[in-house]
Amino acid sequence: MTEQTSPLMIGGHSFTSRLLLGTGKFADADTMVRAVQASGAQIVTVALRRFDRDRPHDNLLEPLLAMKHITLMPNTSGACTAAEAVRAAHIARELCGSSFIKVEIHPNPHHLMPDPIETFEAARILVRDGFIVMPYMPADPVLAKRLEEIGCASVMPLGSAIGSGQGLATADLLRLIIRDARIPVIVDAGLRSPSHAAAAMEMGCSAVLVNTAIAVAGDPPAMAEAFAQAIQAGYKACHAGIMATGEASATSPLTAFLEPTKQNP
Amino acid sequence: MNSPTPFAAPPTPQTPDEQQFISLLRANPALHLEDMARRAQHLTRQHFGRAITLYAPLYLSNYCSGGCAYCGFAADRRQVRHKLEPQEIAEELAAMKAMGFEQVLLLTGERTPQADFDYLLASVRLAANVFHEITIEAFPMPVEEYRQLVDAGCTGITIYQETYDPKAYAKWHRWGPKRDFGARLNAPTRALEAGMRTVGLGALLGLADPLREALSLYRHVRELQARFWRAGVSVSFPRLRPEAGGFQPPFPISDQQLAQLIFTFRICLPETPLVLSTRESPTIRNGLAGIGINRMSVASRTSVGGYCHPVADTARQFDVSDDRDIPTFCEALRQRGLDPVFKNSDSSYRQDPAAQEKPCPNL
Amino acid sequence: MHIHVNGESYETKAVCIADLLRERHADSARVAVVLNDSVLPSATRANTRLTEGDRVELLTFAGGG
Repeated sequence: MTEQTSPLMIGGHSFTSRLLLGTGKFADADTMVRAVQASGAQIVTVALRRFDRDRPHDNLLEPLLAMKHITLMPNTSGACTAAEAVRAAHIARELCGSSFIKVEIHPNPHHLMPDPIETFEAARILVRDGFIVMPYMPADPVLAKRLEEIGCASVMPLGSAIGSGQGLATADLLRLIIRDARIPVIVDAGLRSPSHAAAAMEMGCSAVLVNTAIAVAGDPPAMAEAFAQAIQAGYKACHAGIMATGEASATSPLTAFLEPTKQNP
Repeated sequence: MNSPTPFAAPPTPQTPDEQQFISLLRANPALHLEDMARRAQHLTRQHFGRAITLYAPLYLSNYCSGGCAYCGFAADRRQVRHKLEPQEIAEELAAMKAMGFEQVLLLTGERTPQADFDYLLASVRLAANVFHEITIEAFPMPVEEYRQLVDAGCTGITIYQETYDPKAYAKWHRWGPKRDFGARLNAPTRALEAGMRTVGLGALLGLADPLREALSLYRHVRELQARFWRAGVSVSFPRLRPEAGGFQPPFPISDQQLAQLIFTFRICLPETPLVLSTRESPTIRNGLAGIGINRMSVASRTSVGGYCHPVADTARQFDVSDDRDIPTFCEALRQRGLDPVFKNSDSSYRQDPAAQEKPCPNL
Repeated sequence: MHIHVNGESYETKAVCIADLLRERHADSARVAVVLNDSVLPSATRANTRLTEGDRVELLTFAGGG
């Protein structure tokens, strides 16, 4: 699929797709691979797990690595502290050679909200260690600038809790983050449908990461394609100048005090 | 008006936000101005409530080495030069505090032997005995000098680029250090690096094409806000007014254009304080207060000193069009459903725990 | 000798890490090795000898968001 968008620059690397894909929760590896292909995504997240000789091979990595246009972005999911996340990052880099790392630290297994303090600390260390750091974070405008300051390649604020499908619950905060960011803002987590992704792009974010909404859809490859189209539409709309919302109120004219002048036809 | 369509040649927007900014500036006022006003009012209320923060300028000295063609204090203007001595400064500041002000803007011209950096630093120290919020409007300085001012209690600077058009800038700034366009442009950056908490930007409306000027100013604000995200950036809208030397602005801005400009800034920068001074008439100030504008000077003296010992007939930098006293102005604001306030609440966390929110003293 | 692999007790005949990977059928898969909290570069697997009580983690990628 040809992308009509200008390239997305992250950590010195150029990407044409603004849809990032997660690989969790798919029914099987084959479905996951077809969804990745249908999405046009160029950045794909993976997690670490213990190698178990008794479990059948998921054969996850090989087909992804075979797709030359795919950049793997391992995440540190499972880590509860900065130290664990840093170790996971080094393991991941050893495993696939990619310097991209999604710092994902959620100590509470119920709501899976990211820990801002451990995330900041992990990001600081991993930037120092030469990683392209992509922190998954609460939608906090101050934290976003702090992470930008210490050298993160992007920020990934959540739209709503992982897997919750609540969409852009953090929309107002996302707008603040987007407005002041000088690095890409990638909205991650909680998107349920392509219209959410389009809305995020209309707000001006740089890209979107989707996992659950595609993985548990009835037809994941078709849903992946729908998300990709929605992201393109949202990006185009943002750059086409969306009309403003009006505020209807029946009061007397506010501009009556201005001197009457010749109006433009 | 010199030309029938002053917003003629559109500059090129680089981002969707800039596209929105330009569209608003170029919108047909007959169709859109009222709607823009409503949006501006809504956003102002949302971010600032109904508060209008009030301040006053104190001109410390009208000595100036500069050659600005449009300014009553330029070095080649014949007028009485005066400079406040420390005792006088202390008296003026006390008088302003007694009038109810909790923040002050200290002004000087370009560097002169009479009013140099040390004079300004000493003045800031005096002001710090009285005020928690001290802004200076003076010559561009290196980071080290801004740092000394910060250490002395200065919390912000105001510095207008005058015009973001280098050609116009060169034309209207005839001699002296002010001819250095880049030094002035980067002064807010240096001030923020030195630890100033706020910077006030602006273009002197009338010197160059207003659309280009506005876009450059908008870009300047956005850049500083993104880079110095802990600091406050505000925008003023000084419009060239008649003054003794008779300078005629080449791109005069009508009242309607001024309003459209302010509404545009409010819509595109919803949280940025927007400032209107007493250069403007009571009608304009009444109309724009709370509709975009959330910060205003009042009872301003634009001659040297003037609060403690009113001096008649001393030249002013510009004519004050709104010379209403504080109680009158505050009442006018209240009649429009606005709350005049003199404070900045965060000062209570910084230095003096006794600093409190102070409404207009005329209660 | 007695070591720990992936958090469990394990008796191994392996002398070096490379042997251990063969024993665990992990040599053909993409596996990262952490030995006593240090990430082991793959080039050193043949040279790194095991010691009694070593803690080894064998890790690979799985699906994740």
